[in-house]
Amino acid sequence: MTTVYLDNAATTPLAEPVREALAPFLGAEFGNPSSRHALGVRAAEALTRARAQVARALGAEASEVAFTSGGTEANNLAVLGAARARRKEGARILIGATEHPSVRAAGEALEAEGFDVQSIPLDEAGNLDLQAAQALLTPQTVVVAQMLVNNEVGTIYPVARLARLAREHSPKAHVHTDAVQGLGKMALDLDELGVDSCSVSAHKVHGLKGIGALVTRPGTRLQPLIFGGGQQGGVRPGTENVVGAVAFGAAAQLADDRCEQTFEHATGLRAQLDQGLKTLSGISLLEPGTDRMPSICSLLVPGAPAEVWQHHLEARGVFVSVGSACQSNDSSVSPALLALGLDADRARRVLRLSFSALTTGEEVQVALDALGSLAPELEGLS
Amino acid sequence: MASAQPGPAKLGEPDLILVRYGELALKKGNRGEFEKALARNLRQALASTTKAEVERQHGRIFIRPERRCEKAARRAAEVFGVKTVSPAWVVASDLEAITAQAAKLLDSALAARTQSEPVSFRVRARRSNKAFPLNSSELERHVAERILPGPETVKVQLVDPEMTLGIEVRDRKTFVFLDRFEGPGGLPVGTLGRALCLLSGGIDSPVASWLAMKRGLHMGYVSFHSAPYIGEGFRRKVREVVRALGRWQYKAPLFTVPFADIQVAIRDQAPERYRTVLYRRMMQRIAERISATESCGALVTGECLGQVASQTLENLTCIGAATSVPVLRPVLTFDKEEIIQIARRIGTFDISIQPEPDCCTVFQPSRPVIRGRLEDCLAAEEQMDVEGLVQRALDGTEMELLDHEGGA
Repeated sequence: MTTVYLDNAATTPLAEPVREALAPFLGAEFGNPSSRHALGVRAAEALTRARAQVARALGAEASEVAFTSGGTEANNLAVLGAARARRKEGARILIGATEHPSVRAAGEALEAEGFDVQSIPLDEAGNLDLQAAQALLTPQTVVVAQMLVNNEVGTIYPVARLARLAREHSPKAHVHTDAVQGLGKMALDLDELGVDSCSVSAHKVHGLKGIGALVTRPGTRLQPLIFGGGQQGGVRPGTENVVGAVAFGAAAQLADDRCEQTFEHATGLRAQLDQGLKTLSGISLLEPGTDRMPSICSLLVPGAPAEVWQHHLEARGVFVSVGSACQSNDSSVSPALLALGLDADRARRVLRLSFSALTTGEEVQVALDALGSLAPELEGLS
Repeated sequence: MASAQPGPAKLGEPDLILVRYGELALKKGNRGEFEKALARNLRQALASTTKAEVERQHGRIFIRPERRCEKAARRAAEVFGVKTVSPAWVVASDLEAITAQAAKLLDSALAARTQSEPVSFRVRARRSNKAFPLNSSELERHVAERILPGPETVKVQLVDPEMTLGIEVRDRKTFVFLDRFEGPGGLPVGTLGRALCLLSGGIDSPVASWLAMKRGLHMGYVSFHSAPYIGEGFRRKVREVVRALGRWQYKAPLFTVPFADIQVAIRDQAPERYRTVLYRRMMQRIAERISATESCGALVTGECLGQVASQTLENLTCIGAATSVPVLRPVLTFDKEEIIQIARRIGTFDISIQPEPDCCTVFQPSRPVIRGRLEDCLAAEEQMDVEGLVQRALDGTEMELLDHEGGA
């Protein structure tokens, strides 16, 4: 049975050129980038090159990239670090309604520290409610965090417009965006986004797990989360993960070089999926929001909970994910899906298929065929 | 180079660990076998802590760990069948040597104390060497008189003292010790035969298994997997439970039975309210067949009277009637809180509450029968190919041997 991997929003396989780029750093190039001898200097240079590659994918400078242990740490560093550095300037935080848990939980931690955390609502169509956001932006607002691409349903949010509003109404605010699902899938530019910081993750773009980055504008004030030997300007100290960084650099460059083709490619796959689903009564594609990342497709399935569909697809070699587990307790329901206006029952029927540049039309067809053959069995269950 | 200064009366690592066992001594007929099993279990238990020699001698087991003596002693104190455990120092069976070692031990224990009020203390001696010049109480007095520093630090208290210095005089050697770790009691795993535990993924069945092990049963495990209605996460969770229970049994077989076809058949062919009872009857039938090939003399379940509305005497009777093997239900009369308390203590609670359901919601009846009747079960099963379903499930069953992982 061939494996059809359609869960690329969760993680992606390592790309071959990336494996080649990192190989020397698992062997002879083991230096500590802080060492003053040749081995260390070579590691430091590799790190700088990797920073430049990641920076380039975001229209930023190498000096603006701080490597972290992943997207979660990058989001934590931005939200917690910016809020704590501005404690004396205000105590209001504004975060998106569909944020990744690493932003949401950071918000909860700040709430416990005395910050007032508000959520930016979505309108009925699944777009950011910018009018509501504007009303929530006050001079005391010190952090605004809004994801760029919704990891569950693919909506692309107008971060640039939100950032402009924030500048106008909350001049002290640090504006952060979680661009983990955007990197390599669409053209990104920190200036165009108008944000102060942006988090990205390597393993979503065919790099390694365990490394990500927070890219910040020059002069951005962040209180570090960890303290140590002053590496990376003290923002994120600790001996750098050279292997991970080198791999991330190579992966980011690859992904960025072909991000427009990837977007086009995914648009084609999504159209194929949409077309195929039209012949399958009962399964529909969720299309919240005006702009969408074509590589993230959420389906509303009938009958059995999405989790049952997932495992049946898995038995046919097709790997996808679900929006919410089919537990009876409501805590397992994705808050992001609830924010989109889905009730708990519908949230448990959301199946996510996500593509990468390597996904083929044949694979999408295999998934469609599998869905079609499962429908008679599963749509009658509840 | 700094040279090590020999400190005054410096106390080194204990020479060995003294293991005492309780109930075993009562089992006159097969005591040797029990001791052998206990020694074997101790050896396996210690493997995750340190290299160690385990030796049996006159109603005691001695462990000589290569290192981490204290940790090894605490680990040994978890093994079923062990009553108490003491790290001990070995000296010649000579009054002077015994007194000197006792003094060193007491000094070091007093030095480690932070409280200023005097500690209550006694010496307790035993001798199996009747040729020793003093009897037990004379020896206790002799040593105490010579080592006690004074009433401002130590006061003698014969009943329930805070600190007891133990002396065991054997033929040529004598053991001196201070700490005594309480063991879990029970009987060595394996000495009462084998049983097969039906693991559900819930909190109760691991506790039931632990209690059965405590009474000397060697456990195998069977779990029922409704793939593709539920995912591999459930199997990972069950493996994790078996590995956690491996703290008491070290290695155990886990049988995973494909169960979706049976659930589909019952869902499609049987009265909805009877689903749960019928699923469990099928599980018991399959478990019985596995127990026969594994020489297991009983099934063990986590069934608990009244814990959910459908766990009634009537339903348990319907379920139990599906098998002729004895079904042991160690937690049958426990309150949920009592079960949770044990689950926390043995480290299975946090695994059991991971959100990996054992049964897909699509198979659950909306209103399960409360007082099932056996004739209704039999009538429903008459419509089904019970033997074929059982056989196909057995054909698809996978077995794996799981070790305890994670160390002491």
